[in-house]
Amino acid sequence: MTSVRPKLKPDTPKAVTAWETATGQNVWMTASGSWTQDVSQIAAFTGDEAETRLAEAMAQEGIVTDPYFMEVTETGEITGRETLRETIRAKGPTVSYGEGA
Amino acid sequence: MYRYDEFDARIVSERVAQFRGQVDRRLSGELLEDEFKPLRLQNGVYLQLHAYMLRVAIPYGQLNGRQLRQLAIVARDYDRNYGHFTTRQNIQFNWVALKDIPDVLAKLAEVEMHAIQTSGNCIRNVTSDHFAGATKDELMDPRPWCEIIRQWSTFHPEFAFLPRKFKIAVTAAEHDRAAIRVHDIGLHIRKRGDVVGFEVHVGGGQGRTPHLATLVNEFVPEAELLDYLEAIMRVYNRFGRRDNKYKARIKILVSELGEAEFRRLVDAEYAAQRENEKIDLPQAEIDRIHAYFSPPKLAAKSDTSAAFEALKAEDAEFARWARINLHPHKTPGYTSVTVSLKPIGGLAGDATDAQMMTVAHLAETYAYDDIRVSHAQNLVLPHVALDDLPDVYREMKAAGLHTANESLITDMIVCPGLDYCNLANARSIPVGQAVQQVFADPDYQEDIGRLHINISGCINACGHHHVGHIGILGVDKKGEEFYQITFGGRADEKAAIGDIAGPGLKADDVPGALKRVVDTYRELRADKSELFIETLARLGHDPFKEALYAAG
Repeated sequence: MTSVRPKLKPDTPKAVTAWETATGQNVWMTASGSWTQDVSQIAAFTGDEAETRLAEAMAQEGIVTDPYFMEVTETGEITGRETLRETIRAKGPTVSYGEGA
Repeated sequence: MYRYDEFDARIVSERVAQFRGQVDRRLSGELLEDEFKPLRLQNGVYLQLHAYMLRVAIPYGQLNGRQLRQLAIVARDYDRNYGHFTTRQNIQFNWVALKDIPDVLAKLAEVEMHAIQTSGNCIRNVTSDHFAGATKDELMDPRPWCEIIRQWSTFHPEFAFLPRKFKIAVTAAEHDRAAIRVHDIGLHIRKRGDVVGFEVHVGGGQGRTPHLATLVNEFVPEAELLDYLEAIMRVYNRFGRRDNKYKARIKILVSELGEAEFRRLVDAEYAAQRENEKIDLPQAEIDRIHAYFSPPKLAAKSDTSAAFEALKAEDAEFARWARINLHPHKTPGYTSVTVSLKPIGGLAGDATDAQMMTVAHLAETYAYDDIRVSHAQNLVLPHVALDDLPDVYREMKAAGLHTANESLITDMIVCPGLDYCNLANARSIPVGQAVQQVFADPDYQEDIGRLHINISGCINACGHHHVGHIGILGVDKKGEEFYQITFGGRADEKAAIGDIAGPGLKADDVPGALKRVVDTYRELRADKSELFIETLARLGHDPFKEALYAAG
């Protein structure tokens, strides 16, 4: 695992996120179990369902890499201890870069 | 510069083909990430916060125009039109897709470049003085020895699985611009009579436990250098700790064994090596490698240039740039030019594809096709005629590469931090930019003089904060970014690890606090020639700590 993130309690709402294997782009799991790059589609899971979803993600090695739990609200907004990191990960660097710098 | 022979070309292209197969197997799911990770790391591929990151080796920071142009093409066609030059004199691409990396590596192989040993627990890119072969103050050109070490360490079967990564730096100048005292091995080229040899420092490093290197041998004759390096590596490979990643660097081994015992082990290994399987570099081989680094045939010039003097007289901005960004060359009428990659409010070390094309063109047109990457994340044109400076400057200015700040307070070393890095705890880039803004005034910067501020976004210290005159370390406290300030570090021949000043500051408070520190220095310095680091040494840290924490 590339990302060793803080452990979350079973009843804490969490999303499953990973990197798309072919491109490295960040992806999040939707309620239907598919992968999206649209953060408004992030689904929140808890308890056993969350563990099942993570296990499903881990079984998709050719499609996604290093899936992990990320803390979200019940409606899928990024929250908790790692809000800054996960927000930057979702929205990109906080500084203009390349030709925009 | 060194050119590949057919053997080099073959092993690099075979490696590309091998990695292409590994990527195919990864994408099909045949290889799992845990299996693939060591393979991708051996080819410079990391998985960062947003995407894969590809680190490309630039041996001892030297490039030619064709190579830099190819890097620009990679940035344009496979990334987001820019690359990031690093403190290991390498370049990183931040957004490259895994599926494209074999094609990128094939493109690099066309220009004798690769990403081998830019990651993993092996001997990494050998670094050196970015003015090597040009500067007045060197005993000799250190690059041939960097190349000899590169060839010896590349795919060395015994040192492919070291306890941890291993970094070697070489200098031949009294003023150390290669930071040799904070490397696993730092080599300083010396002469005893006619014999060339190496002063060998071992066990320096930054990261979570910074150490200055220990001088273990004052003079190893050049023919025996590789034997001596083998002896050090064997001691490290055998006794270096593999049980704890954080204690696995050679600095910990040297520190735990103590200087005398470490030296005894190395000497014993060295004696065995000399007796049983000595390498003893043949003089013909030393000469063969040196021939690749023959100085360019510079046309004879006078010490001064009318064109250069005329533009200085009429353009104050150019005159300032010439005061700050030029370094004395060993040949009269020539100079070494620092191409600053630190515009105010920019991203330290980043260059767009268009900027890389500009520098490639300048190198080919005016600078004997020679470009260097400095460990301070700038580019250097080591051989430029004073007569050509007006044209070089105009072209650099059009590309936004003319910032006059080499070694000044805004020439900061800045790691990618939490904006890019999967390991970072806090952002570095925006804090660096905000610090640059408060010191942006060119007169103010020039008045302050040489002052190195380095910032890292985590304890791994990629931004070299331990050896900044002022260091900034980003830390995470319950989800909030704080910045710890250190004073008194330096990376040169008087190397020192900075001392933590006190509690961390919030990001918004850092620029103002550092301005108070610097203004305190301006009040307290003996005269304008006394650098910040010298005033700090003379007066101690207290007046500066007081300024740091004074109410804004």
